Amino acid sequence: MTASPSLVQRILEAPASRVLSLLVFTALALLIIAPEFIASQSPLSVDPGRALRPSSAQHWFGTDDVGRDLFARVVHATRITLGLVAGALLVSALAGAALGLISGFVGGVIDQTLARLIDVILTFPPIIAGVVITGILGPGADHLVLALAIVYMPMFFRIARSGAMAEGARTYVEASRALGFSEVSILLRQVTPNVLPLVLMQYVILFPLALQIEAALGFLGLGVAPPTPDWGAILEQGKNFIMVAWWISLWPGLFLLASSFAVMVLGRSLRERIDAG
Amino acid sequence: MLRFLLPRLASAALAALVSSLVVFVLMRSVPGDIVGQMLGQTIDPTASAALRTFFGLDQAMHTQFVDWLARVLQGDLGRSWYQGQAVTRMISEAFTVTLQIALLTLVLATLIGVPLGVIAGIYEGRRLDAAIQAFNLIGLSAPVFWVGLMLLVGTSAFFNWSPPFAWRSPSEDLADNLAIVLLPVLSLAVLQAAAYSHFVRECMVGELRRDHVRAAFAKGLSPAQVYFKHALRNILIPLVTFMGMILIQILGGTVVIESLFSLPGLGRLILSGIQGRDYPVVQGALLFVVLIAISVNLAVDALYGLIDPRLRR
Repeated sequence: MTASPSLVQRILEAPASRVLSLLVFTALALLIIAPEFIASQSPLSVDPGRALRPSSAQHWFGTDDVGRDLFARVVHATRITLGLVAGALLVSALAGAALGLISGFVGGVIDQTLARLIDVILTFPPIIAGVVITGILGPGADHLVLALAIVYMPMFFRIARSGAMAEGARTYVEASRALGFSEVSILLRQVTPNVLPLVLMQYVILFPLALQIEAALGFLGLGVAPPTPDWGAILEQGKNFIMVAWWISLWPGLFLLASSFAVMVLGRSLRERIDAG
Repeated sequence: MLRFLLPRLASAALAALVSSLVVFVLMRSVPGDIVGQMLGQTIDPTASAALRTFFGLDQAMHTQFVDWLARVLQGDLGRSWYQGQAVTRMISEAFTVTLQIALLTLVLATLIGVPLGVIAGIYEGRRLDAAIQAFNLIGLSAPVFWVGLMLLVGTSAFFNWSPPFAWRSPSEDLADNLAIVLLPVLSLAVLQAAAYSHFVRECMVGELRRDHVRAAFAKGLSPAQVYFKHALRNILIPLVTFMGMILIQILGGTVVIESLFSLPGLGRLILSGIQGRDYPVVQGALLFVVLIAISVNLAVDALYGLIDPRLRR
């Protein structure tokens, strides 16, 4: 038996993308836990006297058109943007997985009807469905969460449904039926735990996609209401000043890129691990 | 042929009907309609009632929907409540803009993404593969509109060039038109090329591990023959499916990119329709999106038979 390599050794030998992803996760965790500790200035206090300043020792990322410190805004937006996406996807996962599990396990007419109806959402590209929902309901964090939850629900539904179908056909389910367990108890205690890893995997895979949509909706002015700091919303604001103050747009985009990147790398290594057994 | 078409058309009709109904009800249930927007702050019950009658908003919702549906079935999507133009005409004008961008993006993304993916697959695990994979990850992570913004800044800072402001169609002025669509197409293509490249790499890696490829190498075929005749041919089917998905993705992506570059395309039509509560425009445009998505999927299914005669039956 060989000694298992130390943590330091494992990090040193890991692919660069994974190391980078780990660093980004650590940084994001810090920004989410204690934004006021990292960015001491207020993300909301306005000072027209220092509007549209490029980056300096005092304002690392510069200032926006009403003189707010961009570093503070981008840092404080981390928790809001990522929190909104995480929450929306959680709602989506719970609803989609519950419906999918029931649909796949019960089968028959219920399954066919449900699957057809949910496929309707899939006809639209996610961003268009998102624009329609938030556009009609109006901007606001709650509508944004609702839109993202609806848009990604079919993806969770599908994976849970096919998982429940596959599990439902296996011998242990048949055995439990023969032993007299109720259908509800088989679904809840035996099938569901076996399908959950698939749902979790789907969550990680969809996270970067949902983040892009969240940012796009914010960019179209359909996201959180101003002056709440949100990466997409800051980009929307920066759009009008792109030729005079490009830094307003640069930083939130880089943070979006880094977060997507980190989660995507996590998703890929999870998948490799699952594929390897 | 009928057995191929019928179930697909039935589910398409269902999707179109259900989504139209949902949007119809949703738009009419939220506060604020076109009458409120036209009259603004003034509260004049007579004017408001007259306008509501004029737009048919005073009738029961189901009557309105049936009316709309009956006209749609006759090919009439109604007129915009703002411009008074026929919605079908507005859609066809906007769609030519979107389609040009989407097709150019598809071509560019395929030309960049597929070769990159093939190369990465062939050089699996080596430095070239790692570099291409890094490009894929960054391309997939970068928000499309942010890439567009950075391209705008970059071209103006380094080349002192900015795209022309007013939209020109290719028939009006080809040079201007291409200058206008250059940056939108580039920003969309970065993402989609990365998606392509990642997908093709995965297919290629899987294919190159299969027995028939090893047998082809063993019998002394040149690597080029093995890669292009034996491996690449087998990934054509998934590739075509993926191309359909990418095209739909691009059509979605144009919503954001059209808004950024102020292009009069379908996405902007939907967005301005929603913001102005111009119900006929929104309903018509969304119905059109459903039709496009479904036609793309049908075309993909039909292409299978062409690529692989075994699937024809």
